[in-house]
Amino acid sequence: MKLSVNGKDREVDVEPDMPLLWVLRDELGLTGTKYGCGVAQCGACTVHMDGLAVRSCQLAVGDVTGDITTIEGLGTPDSLHAVQDAWVEHQVAQCGYCQSGQIMSAAQLLDFNDSPTDADIDAAMGGNLCRCGTYPRIRAAIKSAAQKIQEA
Amino acid sequence: MKRALLASAFTLMSALSVSAGETVDIVPPAEGSVTTEAALEAWSRIYEVASHPRCSNCHVGEDNVPMWSGPSYGKTRPHGMNINGGESRIGAEAVLCSTCHTTKSEDWENANTTPHAAPRVAMDWQLAPVEAEWFGKSSVEVCNQLRDPDRNGDRTFMDIAEHLDHDLILHWAWKPGGGREAAPYSLQEHVNDILTWGVGGMPCEND
Amino acid sequence: MGRARTIGRRSFLIGSAAIAGGVAFGVYTARTPFANPNLKELQQGTASFNPWVIVDSDKVTLIATHADKGQGIFSAQAALIAEELDIDLDQVEVSFGMPDKAYFNGAAIDAMAGFPLYDNSPTAERVRGFLGGVVKLALPMMATGGSSAIPDTYEKLRHAGACARETLKLAASQQSGVPVGQLKTERGSVILPDGTALSYTSLAGIAATIEPVEKVALRDPKDWKLAGKPMNRVDMVQKCTGTLDYGIDFETEDMVYAAIKVNPRQGGAMNSYDASAAKEMKGVKDVLEITGGVAVIADNTWRAIQASNAIEFDWGEAPYPAEQADHWKVLEETFTEESLNAEARVEGDVDAAEGEEVTGEYRSPYIAHAPLEPLNATILVTDERVDIWTGHQIQMFVESIVAGITGVDQENVHLHNKFMGGSFGHRLEFDFIKQAAEIANQMRGTPVKMTYSREEDFAHDFPRHITMGRGVAKHKDGKVTSLDVQIAGQSVMRSQMGRMGMSLPGPDAQLHEGAWDAPNFNLPNLRVRSYLTEALAPVSSWRAVGAGPNVFIYETLLDEAIHAAGADPLEERIRLMGHDVSVKVLEKVGEISNWNGANLGENRGRGVAYGFSFGVPVATVVEVTNTDRGIKLDGVWVAADVGKVIDPGNLENLGQGGTVWGLGHAINCEITYSDGMAEQSNYHAHEGMRIWQCPPITFAALENSPKVRGFGEPPVPPSAPALGNAIFAATGQRIREMPFNKHIDFV
Repeated sequence: MKLSVNGKDREVDVEPDMPLLWVLRDELGLTGTKYGCGVAQCGACTVHMDGLAVRSCQLAVGDVTGDITTIEGLGTPDSLHAVQDAWVEHQVAQCGYCQSGQIMSAAQLLDFNDSPTDADIDAAMGGNLCRCGTYPRIRAAIKSAAQKIQEA
Repeated sequence: MKRALLASAFTLMSALSVSAGETVDIVPPAEGSVTTEAALEAWSRIYEVASHPRCSNCHVGEDNVPMWSGPSYGKTRPHGMNINGGESRIGAEAVLCSTCHTTKSEDWENANTTPHAAPRVAMDWQLAPVEAEWFGKSSVEVCNQLRDPDRNGDRTFMDIAEHLDHDLILHWAWKPGGGREAAPYSLQEHVNDILTWGVGGMPCEND
Repeated sequence: MGRARTIGRRSFLIGSAAIAGGVAFGVYTARTPFANPNLKELQQGTASFNPWVIVDSDKVTLIATHADKGQGIFSAQAALIAEELDIDLDQVEVSFGMPDKAYFNGAAIDAMAGFPLYDNSPTAERVRGFLGGVVKLALPMMATGGSSAIPDTYEKLRHAGACARETLKLAASQQSGVPVGQLKTERGSVILPDGTALSYTSLAGIAATIEPVEKVALRDPKDWKLAGKPMNRVDMVQKCTGTLDYGIDFETEDMVYAAIKVNPRQGGAMNSYDASAAKEMKGVKDVLEITGGVAVIADNTWRAIQASNAIEFDWGEAPYPAEQADHWKVLEETFTEESLNAEARVEGDVDAAEGEEVTGEYRSPYIAHAPLEPLNATILVTDERVDIWTGHQIQMFVESIVAGITGVDQENVHLHNKFMGGSFGHRLEFDFIKQAAEIANQMRGTPVKMTYSREEDFAHDFPRHITMGRGVAKHKDGKVTSLDVQIAGQSVMRSQMGRMGMSLPGPDAQLHEGAWDAPNFNLPNLRVRSYLTEALAPVSSWRAVGAGPNVFIYETLLDEAIHAAGADPLEERIRLMGHDVSVKVLEKVGEISNWNGANLGENRGRGVAYGFSFGVPVATVVEVTNTDRGIKLDGVWVAADVGKVIDPGNLENLGQGGTVWGLGHAINCEITYSDGMAEQSNYHAHEGMRIWQCPPITFAALENSPKVRGFGEPPVPPSAPALGNAIFAATGQRIREMPFNKHIDFV
């Protein structure tokens, strides 16, 4: 089975109903995408398919119809995406385990809405659970990232 | 910006390949063979289906907020996570339904074995049109909506039966998986009831 | 030794080729009976005495052994060392190091000395000092918990940095001939009077031959360059780019994956099972028996979990009441003389006190920790050694337990501690360690990564204990005159330590923590009694432990009395408070919230609550509106006194996060048992707070306390009663049971 992940073609030998999450983590070694609940309750496994956020624990690999971008493909420590940059600026993470998913959801939000209000943020980020409670900083970081994107 | 997202979301939807679900026979009773009484009896069964959580949770009104209700959901409440289907009814304004309710084209009838996971079918998940608001509505209200071409997608009863045959989300109601209670009767029985109700003149209890 | 040795060594050396000419510094070598653990691994002939600082020709490595569950202690430890070492955090590598007695926690015992933590009297300090000495010799334990990591490291690590700095200056003096007094240090170098910079790494070889400096005066905090200001956490970029390896992300060659199924009736037996279908599934290598259940070994985590779900089991009965209602019944019957845990506080005479009575009965449910990273551990057992990669808060006990299971000498069992995706107390437990060890012990030579499914994690979360409170308050002439508080619950400590094979004699102070030590010294009549039962489900430390339920009980009862007296909830709390530091905290929260009474008009209200836990007084104000869709949280204000702020940015994050934690669980979380099993299997039924429910949270830190304190837990206790009190102010409805959504809807 062929997949495009972070701009690279990858070949995996798995059954089509295996969730993309586990293909990324256990087959391709891309562990930035996290397993939290397995039932689309926490959002930690969020990736993009053709630019749209999707919970990779719910997407069977056989049903992948587009290019996949994971947190590792969004930006890197040496070349941060504007959202990641804002996350660092606001020192958002505590345990950090949910933040890959938070950042992927925020990145999609900003792709379609470059000046989100609090209500827009609350609507777009409601599926991403943070047990540590970093929500005030997530909100602030999304607004900073929006500004960075507008100025860029 | 939002328009761009909407457009791409709809592109996704139209790109669906609708694979076969359960096969339904659409054989209406002979013209004139259904009494009003029999049609109303069929209607009461139809309403049992329409008002069942597997159907009504996504047949919601203009606040565009799907519901979580029914056995295995606990106390009735709005869909968690602040989900709003938006005017697009596919969540394009904020979080697409398909973010979690992904499309499972292959072997979709076994797609929903995990309890409490987001249900999946072989098409994009979405809310029913706002005109078809069923959640919390009475039998008379739902009946009048369903027979009103202005509010039922300009469908005859035969069209409604065809719609039940083609729309795989509707098939899911009888195979919800994951410990969820299925809608009553069977898809075929429900289609038969629609046909009976239709041939009997689509009567409602307030006629 | 083969690969296992290589892995252990490489991990210790943190990726460097070798520590050539390495040197390590520390101050506690002179004061502890423990050898410097770094000596074991440094090259022969290399001088080393250094638990926390290693300098080699390549780099400076700081050892930060306290476990990081998200609270930021990894970074804070490095900052404390770096502050005195005169090096920036972007110039060092930071490592968890390897567990050793030299890293014992010297602060955890403070809370167990029998004195409230605000009591700094000579007697209290003498007892703490004595206990500390005993524990250091008898049971030197590495542990991260009880919000003790900052108190433990605050002086110790600055000393370690200062001693390293002074020794490097001696080395520079030897090399350059310039007297030490003329040398300065900055950004990882010793600076000669002519401006020449000798990097620490260039001095490693000479420094290794010098007897380290052991006595250095610490700098005045007002001269701090790094600490005391907002810092960039050293793990932040990795956490924002998906490049930080948590335990669950660990990978090694030839690793296999395991999922487990253990009797969901906690502690019950497995009578029989049928794994024939599972064994036929793709990728499944084996099904192994472990205590109370089985493990599926497969070539991928998902396949292992899928196969584990295909096994049929006959589970034994639960060793506790099968139905939740019976758990509450047990508690109802625990308020008896025979079950008395302690009469923990008696001031005046509550029975004789005058005034009108207010009574209430309060309930705090079982709650899961449910950290977002499901429990996991990777273990490789060979005949000679064991390596474990996981995140744990009691590091050396992990090694001891695994040694017991595998029969390998404890000195050859090595825990490589990992970052944790949360813990909240769950990673103080050992079941997952035992299970992983039992699996790997049956597969010697093969590394096994065991991952709990979320459902297994919920089923086997030793939750927060259930607690019931009964209170009688009295008020007279607009003032609260008396509080009589009775608390019935389980001993978290006995339950937890029982699973570690230890018994806890005497009363458990956690059963009245947060109530007995409420510093309401101006309240003439106060009695706090706690009652103990052991006949319930196994429980564990849950963020803030006893203070969580107890502050809810105490502060709700107090609020009922204040409202009945017609007094102002904040002013009356200030009046009753006899502890200056706490008075200032209450005044501060009043100031930042512009407190002007609890009633804000129809359907709007404010509540305040105070909690003292882990030595930190915290006051919280919550404002709510009662909308047609339910209660909406409009704003929260939190003030706390931690003695000394190390990183104001991180402190604010913890203050807000701890408040979200307290509020979210108070609103909608509980674990209930039916047929002996937890009914909640995933986050849909145990949700906590989400972003749209989270109000703006304003935080203020004070520094009046005489001692520095940790802040991982203290924000939690007052948040729930502050919300309940606000709901009362807005609606007139007094909610005495958590979760509140059993009684009122929330937006």
